[in-house]
Amino acid sequence: MIRGRVMGEVWATKKAPRLAGRKLILVAETCITAGAERPTGRVVVATDLLDAARGDTVVVAFGSGARNAECPGSRDVLVDAAVVQIVDGSSTPGAD
Amino acid sequence: MILGRVIGQCWATRQASRLDGQKLLLVQPLAWYDPDHQADHLVCVDPVGAEVGQDVVVCMGLPARLAAGDTRTPVEASIAAIVDGVELYPDTAEGPAFAFAPGRAPETLRQNPGAST
Repeated sequence: MIRGRVMGEVWATKKAPRLAGRKLILVAETCITAGAERPTGRVVVATDLLDAARGDTVVVAFGSGARNAECPGSRDVLVDAAVVQIVDGSSTPGAD
Repeated sequence: MILGRVIGQCWATRQASRLDGQKLLLVQPLAWYDPDHQADHLVCVDPVGAEVGQDVVVCMGLPARLAAGDTRTPVEASIAAIVDGVELYPDTAEGPAFAFAPGRAPETLRQNPGAST
């Protein structure tokens, strides 16, 4: 899982049947160094069921964790990255 | 998932039997992706019908095998969606600055009018 910030959106009308109807957002992974949040350059397209707004800090799960976020226990959804948490706060003692 | 652009297609007569009838596209990632092996592009099966030059979203792993048939299909990446538009929120005061690698910005990229680029 990574922690990142919502930085964009992706629209697609033509989707694979197993991905139909899911909202796709762009999440840029960020890390805290010297007290400042810095992008690491990694950007992931993730599906979003929690309606993360613009600029929210979120946690994105990958692989089967992402599929469980979409519909628990099913392997039938074409997702490998999904927002699982909208972060209210996080502490990284010693990093600042 | 990975944002990428379709740069080509590959077809073969001698291939794994489960790949018969599958359309394979060459996709170049527009943003970061984390390959198991160092690679410049991905070869993906295409259940959606993308063409060369279109921006697509690629899904990796087990769902790609399910999209191409069943879990015994020898694939690792599948095209999940054809991108109509990508919107990058402007550099919100606290948002991270991000720019696509040179020459790899999606064609349908739309920066918000308030964008400071």
